[in-house]
Formats: sequence, structure tokens, C-alpha cells
Amino acid sequence: MEGNGRYVETPGGRYVDIPVKSGPDTLVVKAGTAFNRSYVINAGSSVSMPANHIIVEEGSLTDICIIIMPGVDADIPITVDLIGEGSDFSLSGIYICGSEERVSLETVVRHRVPGCKSNQHFNGIVSGTARTDFFGRIIVAPDAQKTEAYQVNRNILLSDKAKVNTKPQLEIYADDVKCSHGATIGRLDEEAQFYMRSRGIPLEEAKVLQMLSFISPVLNHIRNSAEREVVAKDIDEAIRKIL
Amino acid sequence: MDNDILLQINDLHAAAGEKEILRGIDLTIRKGEIHAVMGPNGAGKSTLSAVLTGKPEYTVTSGSATFMGKDLLAMKPEERSWAGIFMSFQYPIEIPGVTITNFMKTAINSKRKAQGIEPMKAAEFLKLLRSKMAFVKMKPEFAKREVNVGFSGGEKKRNEIFQMAMLDPVLSILDETDSGLDVDALKIVADGVNSLRTPLKASIIITHYQKLLEYIEPDYVHVLKAGKIVATSGKELVGEIEAEGFDKF
Repeated sequence: MEGNGRYVETPGGRYVDIPVKSGPDTLVVKAGTAFNRSYVINAGSSVSMPANHIIVEEGSLTDICIIIMPGVDADIPITVDLIGEGSDFSLSGIYICGSEERVSLETVVRHRVPGCKSNQHFNGIVSGTARTDFFGRIIVAPDAQKTEAYQVNRNILLSDKAKVNTKPQLEIYADDVKCSHGATIGRLDEEAQFYMRSRGIPLEEAKVLQMLSFISPVLNHIRNSAEREVVAKDIDEAIRKIL
Repeated sequence: MDNDILLQINDLHAAAGEKEILRGIDLTIRKGEIHAVMGPNGAGKSTLSAVLTGKPEYTVTSGSATFMGKDLLAMKPEERSWAGIFMSFQYPIEIPGVTITNFMKTAINSKRKAQGIEPMKAAEFLKLLRSKMAFVKMKPEFAKREVNVGFSGGEKKRNEIFQMAMLDPVLSILDETDSGLDVDALKIVADGVNSLRTPLKASIIITHYQKLLEYIEPDYVHVLKAGKIVATSGKELVGEIEAEGFDKF
């Protein structure tokens, strides 16, 4: 894909300027509009994903949340082009894998113009023999000053046989930006479990509380509270099943 | 059987990994009593409270402990809580993302579920929460804070006493709750313990300072050293320890 780009030499390295091209799978968030949507992918159900290419225009507000429930194999590539100044783009997700799922998420967020904000936040709980891959790239073009771009991928690993692969990448060619990325892979804190048990909360319930609190910051991206409650309830059930 | 006995510990030995820490503890605690356990660092004080509450890292190698006639050591930590045992942690744990309200609601309703009682009604719970927070002088906004996250040392200890008041235990164990507290916070801790001083309940105060014992008058004082109780007496022992240290025991 990078073959048809124009090379721009910058102090930060060689930036490949690829023209923005919309295709049949492109979603355009028009200037000055808002696009909020959550996508819950359940085993056996077919939910059409947001387009794998998103063009974000000037002054728009986008908030997309993808929830991948247990039993789902998914391969989701999403490329985002921020082409209008002052836009605010958020892409978040939750994946819960309890058996032998394969989940792959690949995001590329290109800040092409100044003054845009992007935020990516993916949290996953991975158990059984599942395997997840997260590849997240943020590319800030040489002209895209005053960009704010953040990316976080946090994972809880519940089994020794499950595998989590996470690779956040930042490519910054502008010099006046605020960017950060981070990835963590951890286990449930056993000290906290004992503390909860000593207050009468059974071990399983303690684990559920820990996992729900881990998921909750991403869940808050679902702006519609009625919708959020439905998803929260489904997630509660899903978590209890994979314990 | 002596019906007044809450906790009966006989020749209790316990280890952390390979290392034996408790080397034969004998202790009897009856209803209405407050026991202070004092001793130098490394004597096994915190191990004793950890073993009584079922902390997984510790193994009981021999001996027995019964609580209200039941085998305490066979019970899971949560079952010990349901039976009425509470420990105030020396180092309270942070639980990110879980609010104090949600934490306490889950705790209370877990016990009720285990006892076959319906969950507490929301209004009743909130009333209880507010009154106990006021009792330990915790600001109401703490109800929405994540458990112990970003709390100062004093706030964490106050939160322990708040939880103790909420759960209304039969036997409360305070594991060095007084360390690092100023006098005002110490008084709150003391008020908490004294409020549970009824003819049916008991407390174990583990400490190596005598300060807290100025506010909570113990019925018995034990000196724990090298994993054993080496002296037991009345509250006069506190002054003796203060004056002469633990070396003489």
C-alpha cells in the first residue's frame, strides 16, 4: 500500500505520504457531524463491522466502540485518515476470549492535518488457549502540528496457555505534538482478591469485580446509557462463563 | 464446653514457605474480651492475623484453631468473614476501579446470600453506609472513591475501621492499625473498637506501641516473641513493656 506514496524527508525520518482514497468500505464522518456507534460481536451472530477505512473530516466527533464476546474469531483491520482540522476521533474496544479464539486487531491512525485528537483504548481478557494480536500504529504527518494522539492496549491473561501479542507503534514526523502509547499484560492481583475475600466476597465474585473494573473505562465510551447497561450486563455474564 | 469461648487456638504452628514463623501459639479469647498482642518486629504478629483470616501464602503445619466451636482452619477466607471475623489490614490493599460503595454492597450481600437472606435494599444500605462513614469521620465523597486508591495512610486506616463498622464482626483483629497514625486518627480507631465492645464480641489488638492501648483498655496483654506467647498478663504489662522493652521476656 505504501508503494504509491510520496516520500518526505523529515528530521524524524522518512514520511510516506499516501493519498487518501475512499473505497466501497470507507466510512466518511462529514465535517461538523458526530458519529457514535458501538458494535457488539457475539458468537454466531453476524454484525457488520464499521468500515475498515474511516475518513474523518473537519470539526467532527467520532466515537466507535467494538466489543468482541467469547467464542468469536475476528480479524479486524481499521485504517483512519484524519483529514480535517479540529476533529476528535476515538476508537475503543473490548475483547473477551475464554477458549480457543483468535482475535486480531490492526489499527492505523493517520494524522494528516494539524489540531486533531485521536484516542485508542483496547482492553482484553484472555483465557483458555486463545490468542490475541493487537497492532496499533499512529502516524503523525510532518504538517500535523498540535496533534494529540493516544493509544493504550491493556490485557489480563487468565491462563498459562493463552497468548497475548501487543505491538503499539508511534511514527511522529511533526515536532509539536502530544502522543503516547502503552501496552500492558498482567494477571489479576491476588492480594486484592484476598482483601476482598476477607470482607466476605467469594473468590469468584472478587475476580468478576476485578475484571469488570478493568473493562469499565472502555465501556464508558458507549455514550448511550441504556445501550451501555445492556452491554455491561452481557459482559458480566460473559466474564462469569470464562472464569 | 465453655460457651463463652469465641476463639480457641491450641499449639498452632505456621510457616511462610519453608520458614516456620508461629511455633506453638496457645490463646483463648472469650466473649467481651479485648486482647492486646505485643511483640518486637518479626515475632510473628502479622503472621498470626494472616493465619486467622486464611491468607493463602501461609501454611498451618500443626495445631488447631476453632471459632465459635467450628474448625476455623478448614474455612475459606470469605467463610471466616461470614462467621464474624474481621481483620483491619496493616497495609490496606488498593482495588482500582471498584468504588467503596460497590465493594461494601458486594461484601454485605455476599454474606446475606451465603446465609440465604435477600440482598439489602438500596435505601437501607445507603443509610447504613452514611451513618458508618459519619461515625469514622470519612467525607461522604469517599463513597464514590476507588477502594484505597490515592488514599493517605490515615485515610486507609480510617477506611478499615469504616469497613469493620459496616460488617459488624464478632471478632475484630487489628493488625498494627495504629502504626503511622496521628492522635486524631488513633481516637477514631479506638472509638471504632470501643463501639464493638459488647458482652458478645471480642477484639485482638496487634501492636508494638502502647499508644493505642491508652484509648482501648485491654483485658489481657500477650507478649509474642519468636513465634510463641512468652508472657500473658493484665493491662499493667503495657507499662512494663514501655519501660523495659521486649528483651526481658
